[in-house]
Amino acid sequence: MKPSALPPGMRRRLLRGAAAGAAIGLLPGCERRGPEPQAPVGYTPGQRLPWINWAGNQACVPAQRAAPASEGEVAEVLRRARGTIRPVGASHSFSAVVPTDDTLVATDLLSGLVDHDGAACQAQIWAGTRMRVLGPLLADIDQALPNMPDMDYLSMGGAIACSAHATGMGFGSLSSYVAGLTLATPGGELIECSAARNRPLFQAARASLGALGIVTRLRLQNQPAYRLTETDRIEKTEEVLEDIVARRERHRHFEFLPLPHSALCVTVATDLAQPGDHDVGEEDPQAAQTLRRVFETLALLPAGGAIYDRVLSAVVGGAASTVRTGPSYQVFPHVRMVRFREMEYTVPAEAGPACVREILQTVQDRRLPVCMPLEYRYVRADDIWLSMFEGRDGCSISVHQYGDLDYRDYFGHVEPIFWKYEGRPHWGKIHTLDARRLAGLYARHWQDFQEARRAVDPQGRMLNGHLKSLFGV
Amino acid sequence: MPACEARARAARRAGRRRLAARLCALLPLLPWPAAGAAELTERQVALLTNNCVQCHARPDIGVPQLGDAPAWKERARQGEDQLLVHVVLGLRGMPPLGGCSACSEQDLRALIRFMAALPAR
Repeated sequence: MKPSALPPGMRRRLLRGAAAGAAIGLLPGCERRGPEPQAPVGYTPGQRLPWINWAGNQACVPAQRAAPASEGEVAEVLRRARGTIRPVGASHSFSAVVPTDDTLVATDLLSGLVDHDGAACQAQIWAGTRMRVLGPLLADIDQALPNMPDMDYLSMGGAIACSAHATGMGFGSLSSYVAGLTLATPGGELIECSAARNRPLFQAARASLGALGIVTRLRLQNQPAYRLTETDRIEKTEEVLEDIVARRERHRHFEFLPLPHSALCVTVATDLAQPGDHDVGEEDPQAAQTLRRVFETLALLPAGGAIYDRVLSAVVGGAASTVRTGPSYQVFPHVRMVRFREMEYTVPAEAGPACVREILQTVQDRRLPVCMPLEYRYVRADDIWLSMFEGRDGCSISVHQYGDLDYRDYFGHVEPIFWKYEGRPHWGKIHTLDARRLAGLYARHWQDFQEARRAVDPQGRMLNGHLKSLFGV
Repeated sequence: MPACEARARAARRAGRRRLAARLCALLPLLPWPAAGAAELTERQVALLTNNCVQCHARPDIGVPQLGDAPAWKERARQGEDQLLVHVVLGLRGMPPLGGCSACSEQDLRALIRFMAALPAR
């Protein structure tokens, strides 16, 4: 079959597959070497169970594992725990926020709806609730999160701890939807926080990296349930960047995924659904395999890299677009089946185009062997002390490398570009900054957070090595 | 593809999604064991609901689905210990520990037996 004759389903798989790995093998260094062990530790049945994150780049072997099923149990676990205590949600952080060889506290069993207020459009949930579970739960009470990331595996407590976000200039991070929370401190005390109650602790706990204890409940400011339509297209990166301000204003949500070594990108525009909207394009799991075989064949050619753009254009260019429509909690997320590692920094919104251009140019100039797309999103400013969006509208740019390839050289070239644009690293993703550099990026409230942390955890029981480095302890 | 066919496919997909969502909602209420295989405790049902069904009750992603006996047959032949190692360390699309940090080895074994319809121990 000629690439241009691919049915919409194949185009569809390439669009998302490009982000998830279908375009692999087009460039030297991008070829996969079959299924490799993804774990940095071994395991034999009967041994103590390790903990390993989703990406497979963080691991530990905790001496104690706890999975409290109530607030009282959380407090008890914290009071009795030995050594360094770390909470864990869905294990999706790429950074070392979780590992501890002492006490690991999983929040899986703190899941579900506590209560809700229809008039205020708020719902109180247990903090271990996964987003995939949360969507239908909120739909049942005619509520929905105002915005959601492009995957729904995260636990809400973990997402808040790292100030996880989606895209949309009119929307803040998930932390900004928290109207109140309950914090179990390392001493086992339960403290309710909101803008009106224990406000300093509230400002610290809405993006705390799990350094203040364990958040047990979240009161979310939602909105009435709504439907969305998402349209994906292949476009030219420069044309998108020239029009970026208009697009981010025009669409409820807009992001794009530039393809390294290519003039092309995938654009994703999401708006409230209109009557008559319907899905276009069929997801066919085998189509990605077909495309991959074609591309892996191309990669064997001496000039495989040189024809990359032309092939992509032929396969997916022009009018190829896909549409997904449905309830918001079904349209926002996508399936994530390919393991990767990620670095993300948030630069001031106005610096986004220059920053992403410089990254793409660097990848090209240095012939870095990268084929996974970058991701470019906008997020509204907030006032949360350690939020990446504190005090300024942000443009979040992320770079990815496949889980079975070494990311360090690529990320090492890109990270200084983020620094040049005053980028703040995503707390849950890979970066190399320490307390000295971070304090400068969060000048307004860095000390406020440290004081709040010391007040609830004077002995530093919640700090593993990574957090000690981040906070200069 | 004609628009009507696209709409029909979309409707079928939406139907499968609704079915999966209903299954997730019903899981804690089902009289276990429902599949005639391993028994799950209430806690393990909660762990299944929060973790495993995110992929194993999500049609069209190339993952063996809960209750799809033929899809599990080859995998079940590897034996419970080998499946446990794959679950703990992760394999291909399967995340380490199935994403379940709360699971003990006992929990994982019970969930594997339930998923793959292995006989109860």
